Amino acid sequence: MVRQARSEATRKKIITSAVELFNEIGYPATGLGDIIERAEMTKGALYYHFDSKESLATAIIEEGSTRLAEAFRNISSSSAPALEGMIHGVFVVADLMLTDQIARSGTQLLRAFGEFNDVAERTYSGWTAEMTGRTRQAIDEGDVRAELDPQAIGETIVGAMLGVELLASAITAGADVLQRVTRAWQVLLPGIVSQESLAYFEEFLARESMRHSPAPLAE
Amino acid sequence: MTEQPDRRADTTRQQILRAASRQFARRSYSLVSLDDILADAEVTKGAMYFHFRSKHALAAAIIELRFVVASASVDELLARKLSGLETLIDIVYLVAVEDISDEIARAGLNLLESIGRTDGLQADVLGQWVVAFAAIAGKAIKDGDIISDRDPHDIARILVSMYLGLRQTSNLAEPEQFLRDLENMWTLALPGFVDPDRIDYLTQFIKRRTAVAQKKATPLAADALG
Repeated sequence: MVRQARSEATRKKIITSAVELFNEIGYPATGLGDIIERAEMTKGALYYHFDSKESLATAIIEEGSTRLAEAFRNISSSSAPALEGMIHGVFVVADLMLTDQIARSGTQLLRAFGEFNDVAERTYSGWTAEMTGRTRQAIDEGDVRAELDPQAIGETIVGAMLGVELLASAITAGADVLQRVTRAWQVLLPGIVSQESLAYFEEFLARESMRHSPAPLAE
Repeated sequence: MTEQPDRRADTTRQQILRAASRQFARRSYSLVSLDDILADAEVTKGAMYFHFRSKHALAAAIIELRFVVASASVDELLARKLSGLETLIDIVYLVAVEDISDEIARAGLNLLESIGRTDGLQADVLGQWVVAFAAIAGKAIKDGDIISDRDPHDIARILVSMYLGLRQTSNLAEPEQFLRDLENMWTLALPGFVDPDRIDYLTQFIKRRTAVAQKKATPLAADALG
């Protein structure tokens, strides 16, 4: 038990050090030697857990996307109507990306490695499936228009939010991601929400956006 | 090896608490006898007295258990980071759904009403609810939903009073009606402490909560007593 706990602590230390370095000087410039030095560890300890920089990156992607998916699921499986949970959940995920280094670093690595790594396919199709399921429920609840295809809506929302994150990272280093999330929902809502519910959701979004501004400074 | 008897004792204790909740959820405190609970729990008198010295001790343990579970649910709701007033509304709806559908929840509040007055139990438990609600109402003032010169403690006390009163005047065995009454309670109370500009939105928010709760709540089976 003690040994297991120590090994787990070592693994965490390696991940934290790697995330710090990736954020400071970028993934390509970071060598395994830098990570060993930052984590104050032996080469053997690092290789015991990760056989390459790529496997370390995969672990960060997995840890980061697990944290984000858990945060979203906690919100969207609540007693609230599904569309409320979807909107609020996206804000909570964006918030977490501003405050959680591993979540942020994982998202960036996912983008860099997407094409070469099957973790990307799993993560993205996981999000799409989650969003599509919630959309189905929102259709049942009368908030999303019944004539629309839930799969198409799920894909569009996930695509839009990934794009929002990409633009915010590229243009303002993520600082205005919450305002961008608000604007994306403003554009999406009239296309998907039923006539009776639209006014309510515009107000719901306005309140959500007000609570998140000014954007908290990333630490 | 030393864990085994502890775990067994724990299971027995849970078994007694569940059986007692089944009884106290459906009948008044004075009508439930320890023999009813013994028969339902399928444990010996000795086992029962090992865990609970009296019917009163057992009832107090249910109130305590319910309080712990409910506090955990409230923490979960707070972690969702909605606005203060939305969180308060969600908490009251959650309490209502559990009161309708869950034996321990129902028994906990029934017992708080019947035995709570005697040894300060009611003042203690409700006092803690009021403090927790007042903190959230304070947040709602900062959010701009509750008018700034209202006292959060007053609002907390009124919400707790209204819910406990509703349990008496409405019928938990009729979820549709009970939740409609809960909605009326909220919409009538809102103008007393909510910013007039926010009332339309919050009224919709409450209506939507009623609809979800009506789907979720399933009344306790009436014939579950052995």
